[in-house]
Amino acid sequence: MNRLDGRLGFLSALPLVLVLLLSFLAPMAVVALFSVMPQKVFSIANMPDFSAYSLFFSQGYYKSLLWSLGMALTATIILLLICWPLAYAMAKVFGRFGLVLTVAVVMSLFVSENIRLFGWVLTLMKGGLIEGHLRAWTGLSFESPLYDVPIIIFGLVYVYLPFMLFPLAQGIAMVPDDTRQAAYDLGASRSQVLWQIEVPLAAPGIVVGSLLTFVLAAGALAESKILGGQAVIAIADDIETAFTFGQNWPLGSALSMILIVIIGGLALFGVSKVDLDAIMGRKR
Amino acid sequence: MTNKLSRRQFIGRTAALAGLAAAGPISPAFAGRTDRMNILCWEGYNSDQVLGPFRKAHPAATVRAESGTSDPDMINKLRAGETSVWDLINVNQPWARDQLYPEKLIKPLNKERFLPYFEKMLPDFSTPPYRLAFADDGNLIGMPQRYGPFSFVVNTDVISREMAEDQGWNLFLDPAMKDRFGVLTYDNWNVIHMCLTAGLNPFAPVEGADVEKFRETAKTIFGGSKLLTDDLVAMNTALINGEIDAYFTGGTYTASPARFDGATNVRGITPKSGPVDGKGGCVWIELTSAVNNPDPSDLAEEFLEFVQTPEIAKAVAFTEGTYNPVAQMGNPEVMAQFDKDELDAIQMDSLEEEMARSLDYSVVASYDTLIDIYTQERRS
Repeated sequence: MNRLDGRLGFLSALPLVLVLLLSFLAPMAVVALFSVMPQKVFSIANMPDFSAYSLFFSQGYYKSLLWSLGMALTATIILLLICWPLAYAMAKVFGRFGLVLTVAVVMSLFVSENIRLFGWVLTLMKGGLIEGHLRAWTGLSFESPLYDVPIIIFGLVYVYLPFMLFPLAQGIAMVPDDTRQAAYDLGASRSQVLWQIEVPLAAPGIVVGSLLTFVLAAGALAESKILGGQAVIAIADDIETAFTFGQNWPLGSALSMILIVIIGGLALFGVSKVDLDAIMGRKR
Repeated sequence: MTNKLSRRQFIGRTAALAGLAAAGPISPAFAGRTDRMNILCWEGYNSDQVLGPFRKAHPAATVRAESGTSDPDMINKLRAGETSVWDLINVNQPWARDQLYPEKLIKPLNKERFLPYFEKMLPDFSTPPYRLAFADDGNLIGMPQRYGPFSFVVNTDVISREMAEDQGWNLFLDPAMKDRFGVLTYDNWNVIHMCLTAGLNPFAPVEGADVEKFRETAKTIFGGSKLLTDDLVAMNTALINGEIDAYFTGGTYTASPARFDGATNVRGITPKSGPVDGKGGCVWIELTSAVNNPDPSDLAEEFLEFVQTPEIAKAVAFTEGTYNPVAQMGNPEVMAQFDKDELDAIQMDSLEEEMARSLDYSVVASYDTLIDIYTQERRS
């Protein structure tokens, strides 16, 4: 009876499995195939020559990748530092006010990312909300922080805050108060409680939050375009250019594959280290 | 109640899924030939002012429009097999001539039906009928409508029109202009304009020492620029509030929204002289072409005729976003649709002389080499 159940379960799942294979793996397979084609062809019925991959080094695309990964890493670390106290407060201190905070953060997601970023441009630009008022009231002026690397990282931190905050709050909520109190009773210092009790027990939240923000930030495009004035070129920007104005699908595919492999490897590594079921709340 | 699955439940669920899957592909795009017209276009043709009256004239037809944000984005859609979805495509002339037509993604128009419309166009398009609307084999591949000179833009309160026209592209190499201009990152245009700045012909092969000349120019321009953005509103804002005094790559297309809002000190400039036959400016011209749809719609050519009428030609010129001259303004009835402010927004006073000083936007012969250098310099 159990075997029949298993078989029926499998058959029942089969259509969905096929849909998932078709909708997730098929596009990836097409991208992978295109990436080995000779440049500037628009069909996968050509002899593969892998030439697009050599451009990654010879034409300096690796620089864009390093910038993207570096900025994503910086943004993730900053987010971790900012969100830890906030998430802690949401999970353990605020009580009902935590809900207000959640709603407030979620509300910001209702507005398109591009519009929110453009709002920052209007706020920060010379003659904008801040500098314009300052100049009108005091006669003082300062250079706009726009169009530089730090402002791009600020944009990443701003846009991806919810993606760090909520998993982190979830992770911290999993740390039982009893454990912390027991540790204090046994004479642990504050930092010992943090590093030996809270961080390890909240690890799934930390890993999920970090992975989400890092993966999203590494593929981000709008921040470097809108706030950064393309002071540095993100890899996602290079991919877009290759597919559009470059009309070089194999190059765009090769750059995508490189990004996918790096990010995918990182994500699998991270996920394998933590018990995801714990954070989903299905089992302890 | 157990959660075991019975054979009956299994069959029922499978049937439901199969039903859903089968219902998916049924959509209006697969319907018959005179009850559908889908156009893929730059913003404007998709507006209610244009499509509303056409829908009213063809109540039985489903009329859909989608606006693209770049020529290659739209072309990629056709390449990816959407020729069966679209009936018309509206892109800049070189993309139609050099990418779409040779790859049979668009098909020739009926000359007998459309050649007479050229006679009523502005002189640049009517005598002889606009050369680049035709493929090398002589077929008419699209109808011109919107166009505009595209070189650079200045704030005439700071840099006079005369001075900017006389100096031309050298303005951006002047050390005094360092950190006083922006670069609008329409990359494919910038490659053309950087060639012109370097004194090179962008539409002929750029080789040898000329490549270095291009690199030096790109380095100077990116090095001297205060900001880079691909957003024309952000660029006009920076120009109006004095953050910059000029921007590299722009024209009536980018200046007109600011001018129509009253900032007539924002002005597109076409250099008086330049390296190619004395010309230093450049002009873009859109063509609207019939997609090579395996199930073609008769409404496609009908729509092409419809947009030649005075009211609709005006609506195409002045929809949301940007404002542009249209070739149909050669017809006095079309011209009568525009008021003084509107004509001033599109710089009608200087349009003809600017056109005379402009090269036709064409395919950049050494695009691959130059765009690499361009991106390298932009990145560093």
